[in-house]
Amino acid sequence: MTEYERILTDMTKGLAPFTKGRVEVNENTELVGDLELDSLQIMELLLFVEDSFDISIPVSILPDVKTVGDLARQVEKIIGNT
Amino acid sequence: MNQVSNVDITASATPTLSALPLRLADFDTLASALDYAAAGESGANFYAGNGKLASVLPYRTLRDQAQTLAKRLLSFPLERGARVAIVAETNPDFLRFFFACQYAGLVPVALPAVIHVGGHKAYVNQLHGLLKGCRASIAVSSSQLLPFLTEAAEGLGLQFVNAASAFDELPEKNCQLQASGLHETAYLQYTSGSTGFPRGVIITQQAVMANLVGSAYGLDVRQDDRCVSWLPFYHDMGLVGCLLAPMATQRSIDYLDTRDFAMRPRRWLELMTNSKATISFSPPFGYALCVRRLRPEDIALYDLTAWRVAGIGAEPIHIELTDRFSELLAPAGFSPLAFVPSYGMAESSLAISFAPLGTGVVVDWLDSNDLADNFIATKVSPNTGSSFVRCGPVLPHHEVLIRDEFGKPMADMHIGRISVRGPSVMSGYFELPEQTQLVLSADGWLDTGDLGYLIDGNIVVTGRHKDMLIINGRNIWPQDIEAIATRQPELRSVDASAVSVPGPEQEEVAVLIVQCNITDADEQHHLIQRLHREIHEELGINCTIELVPRHTLPRTSSGKLSRSGARKDYLLRQKSLSTSDPETLLKKA
Repeated sequence: MTEYERILTDMTKGLAPFTKGRVEVNENTELVGDLELDSLQIMELLLFVEDSFDISIPVSILPDVKTVGDLARQVEKIIGNT
Repeated sequence: MNQVSNVDITASATPTLSALPLRLADFDTLASALDYAAAGESGANFYAGNGKLASVLPYRTLRDQAQTLAKRLLSFPLERGARVAIVAETNPDFLRFFFACQYAGLVPVALPAVIHVGGHKAYVNQLHGLLKGCRASIAVSSSQLLPFLTEAAEGLGLQFVNAASAFDELPEKNCQLQASGLHETAYLQYTSGSTGFPRGVIITQQAVMANLVGSAYGLDVRQDDRCVSWLPFYHDMGLVGCLLAPMATQRSIDYLDTRDFAMRPRRWLELMTNSKATISFSPPFGYALCVRRLRPEDIALYDLTAWRVAGIGAEPIHIELTDRFSELLAPAGFSPLAFVPSYGMAESSLAISFAPLGTGVVVDWLDSNDLADNFIATKVSPNTGSSFVRCGPVLPHHEVLIRDEFGKPMADMHIGRISVRGPSVMSGYFELPEQTQLVLSADGWLDTGDLGYLIDGNIVVTGRHKDMLIINGRNIWPQDIEAIATRQPELRSVDASAVSVPGPEQEEVAVLIVQCNITDADEQHHLIQRLHREIHEELGINCTIELVPRHTLPRTSSGKLSRSGARKDYLLRQKSLSTSDPETLLKKA
């Protein structure tokens, strides 16, 4: 399992409370378009990601994050840099 | 965060006592207010997401750095009053640039630093609209956000667009600084994140200082007061209430980044506890976020006994929320009497009124029918009818009037348009004389756009006659939501009305009603999903989308779409849905 896949797996687990089992989550799932996360849920998701990977997510990465995979790749990059 | 140099990471926070005789904002200009504060020990402190103190900026250091930076800015050929756009992240750089403008006679403009997931294009468009609207000469951001700013500034011919650190490389102009004077513009405040319709409120030194004096007296600011804020600097409450007001009264303030607060709302209470802060403001949604995320086991860790002014305003206040917050945090020493309902807006610098201190949230219970049908506030017994919070008397040296639709003043307890006059009121919207005329009369009365009544000299806000939506404390213009709808290929320019309705917990919820001829369920679903996503990317809000057949949206007599009519019809449809078969007429997102 690559680092990316590991992150993706963890993230998918973290998303469970937000999806309420409605949607199957994979790397192409859009956070807003598919999961319909509102801005507060996005914050809760970022909190989960920051806490579980022990990183700090810069605000500047969010505009180019659309899918679960996008976020996982950003996390991978941040972990790689620290 | 991209922090400035010259910051000593090991420093401790600035003290609460400034060592100066307290002066309640009685200065001519922001620059002279900072000159005075700089002689003391107080200042601004910035906390990171992990709760640790990240940087300390005593007013003394701020003054010195701002003066140096002022000379660097003046190395460009700038006319007096030229606009300097600052992407307003919660860091010392924002303060340095804001006050550099004060010393250089330039006009700072705070740009939003809020970016939504997937919102790259939308954010760049928003910045572009604001840079263009204020005709900025210089624009600055953190190095992180610079790519967005640079992209936004393309084609606008600014003299310099760069990261804060790049300004340190500029030569200092050899000159005597001439600070922004009494009648000059202190700053431009953009009233909402509206991309299509940015309106920059012009606030002079005289106006903002009048407002700061009013606030200092209204809140009875004292020698031992200390502030905490997580409000963004591009928000009037964040800029005027939580940056300029503490500085002009020589108070120390502890800042938490807005996004860190949104992620970890309990940090606010931790910071209040640790710094023994006495003054902190928030829109209702900030208190609601705390209530939602409080863990019972944490409550004993907080000590909120020092918190004497818990300001609350910027959106409708509901007593259920303030009661709940008080009840939950009573064991931590929070007093319900600390709540200070406040009313204000950027067009009046910030504050228009504060409830009297030490009274907490006082509500009027009114007959709902009299309110809706006759526009009269008729009191009924508590816990029946509709409740509205008293926001106190208008600031000293200001006047308030309630007017009917023809502009005629109305008696107490009659609901009409709230208008305000006084020294805090704006000079107008920047380079938008027609927009200015709509709200500001020749004799100085500002039409606030709000509806309300007066009782015993108290202002009570009951609603809005302007169509603006307030979602989570942010102003959202319906035009922006509607523009997203009508640019969709399958929709036309008259196919959408955006309104807000009360949600399940009395918070405002945005609703977009779209008329179209699409009958295929799949196509309907895709349209709804696309609208939902684009509205979120651009405006950061969740919006309920309702599709209705063409010719459903009501129009005014002049043929324009009627948002109030659309809202009424929507509520009626919702009511009939909840009382009849939900499968009937509508398809809801």
